[in-house]
Amino acid sequence: MRRDLPTLLSAGWLLAVCVVSITAPMISNSSPYQPVAEPLTPPGQHFMLGTDALGRDVWTRLVYGARINPGASLLATAITVTIGGLSGLIAASISGWLDRTIMWIANAMLAIPGLLLAMLFVAAMGPGLPTVILAVGFGGAPGFARLARTIFQQVRERGYVTAAKALGAGRSWVALHHLLPNAQGQLLSLATTHFAWAFMGTTTLTFLGLAGDPSIPEWGAMLNTGRAHLIDAPWLALFPGLAISLTILAVQSLGARLANSESK
Amino acid sequence: MVSHSDRPANIALATVTRRLMEGLLTAWAAVSLTFFALRVVAGDPVASLLSQGLASPEQVESLRRSLGLDAPLLIQYLQFLKGFLRGDLGTSLYTSRPVSVVIAEQLPATITLALTGLGLALLFGLGLGVTAAWKEHSSAGRVAARLAGLATALPVAFTGVISLLLYRYILQWFPSVGFIASRRLFLPAMVLGFSSAGAIARVVQAGLFESMRSPYMLAARARGIGRGVRLLWHALRPALPPATSLSALEAAYLLAGTVVTETVFSRPGLGRLLVSSILQGDYPIAQGVVALAALFYTASHIIADILAFLIDPRLRKVT
Repeated sequence: MRRDLPTLLSAGWLLAVCVVSITAPMISNSSPYQPVAEPLTPPGQHFMLGTDALGRDVWTRLVYGARINPGASLLATAITVTIGGLSGLIAASISGWLDRTIMWIANAMLAIPGLLLAMLFVAAMGPGLPTVILAVGFGGAPGFARLARTIFQQVRERGYVTAAKALGAGRSWVALHHLLPNAQGQLLSLATTHFAWAFMGTTTLTFLGLAGDPSIPEWGAMLNTGRAHLIDAPWLALFPGLAISLTILAVQSLGARLANSESK
Repeated sequence: MVSHSDRPANIALATVTRRLMEGLLTAWAAVSLTFFALRVVAGDPVASLLSQGLASPEQVESLRRSLGLDAPLLIQYLQFLKGFLRGDLGTSLYTSRPVSVVIAEQLPATITLALTGLGLALLFGLGLGVTAAWKEHSSAGRVAARLAGLATALPVAFTGVISLLLYRYILQWFPSVGFIASRRLFLPAMVLGFSSAGAIARVVQAGLFESMRSPYMLAARARGIGRGVRLLWHALRPALPPATSLSALEAAYLLAGTVVTETVFSRPGLGRLLVSSILQGDYPIAQGVVALAALFYTASHIIADILAFLIDPRLRKVT
């Protein structure tokens, strides 16, 4: 049982984040945008985690951020899995020039580190939270496509695929009825690992101020504005930073666990 | 008679040449990508000046002509490539200064930070990896393995802030630390190095784990060679090539890491330049920085492969 403690803690933290994000207005009755007290009030009886430089409740902003950050990363992951998974599936089921072209494009994109690739897309589309989500989604796609292709190729070599082909199954039938369903487990564990990357990516970009509006109750932007008050109000940077780190650690630990059970 | 191309030196040369050609192709594709991503996705880069009210329609029109934006996309692309090969990356939309000059100004600061970071990453990575493998069954080894895991997981933005906080508290108690741990270079480099150390440590640990169970380790032990020598010479050497190639790749990722580190520590450099150019919509600068990073990444990829080839004689036989 002791071996499972990290898994339990990770699942617990992620569950708490989910619950908090759904019940945000019930947990906190103040607005994440309106000042509630003197600026930079330390954590205490009235304000559990203190207030920020504009007098807004840090706890409330963190709670509402639980809606934005995981949601944004989930959307970015969905974009990556759709684009990357589809290109991987196409590349694996139609080998030949199309496979080579797709992989060549993916490799060229991989010559730019993922974070910089995402920043390139933000540069093209202009700053903003939707842009950040799209950019992280696109930025992760080439790497995901390459890994997904390998998974599909492994499934392609199995006996039942050869049998289906011998029975006259076409490429798209094999892709949809054999490759996709049988790669599901591995793809899911790949997507979980990728979610951690997407979470790191979105919070890093918003930390850099690329989400535009700094008033959004968002963990990365909160960490960034907290930097200005490291001496007089360290809690401003500490709590959002902790929330980000705990979420990444939890997802990674669950992802590793999932990959382990998948390989057994 | 042995044919000319079968001689080992020629095989090595052929491999290196092939790798260089591949690298050039990748670099060209990546640089082209920076061009097309911005032109195709962004549409008209000058339009943002107009919408921000920074220029009148006539000014925008003349700027567009002077930037060559009225030409067809293919012509623009060829002109971009021609300029790129001569080191001309265009001019900033806001200051009208050449992008190459602006980048050259910021480059030394980033290179210093990245290299110091890489050195510390190797130091931390080797230290953590060796400790984790050597003291596998004691608490020191477990702590090292846990630290390596944390290093890869924790975002640089958070470790940076934590290090700044710790630095302030330590400074209160031991003011002299400030002289040694210069806030401008040492602290950001530590944070950067720590973030890359985790991956290196993991590779070193895995390599050691494998080689420590090899028969030649038993043979070395039978010859009466001490444990430390066995570990650091016999076991570590075969574990180094993968760690070396990884470090060269980490060097490229450090460049991306500097973007965050420079922001956390308010340090000038390419990363800050990239962020501010994106926020301002100054696309030639953003494009230049990312293209440079792609070149750097491809180059370190090639160097990594060649290094592995030179260090590990086993690779030379399989070409």
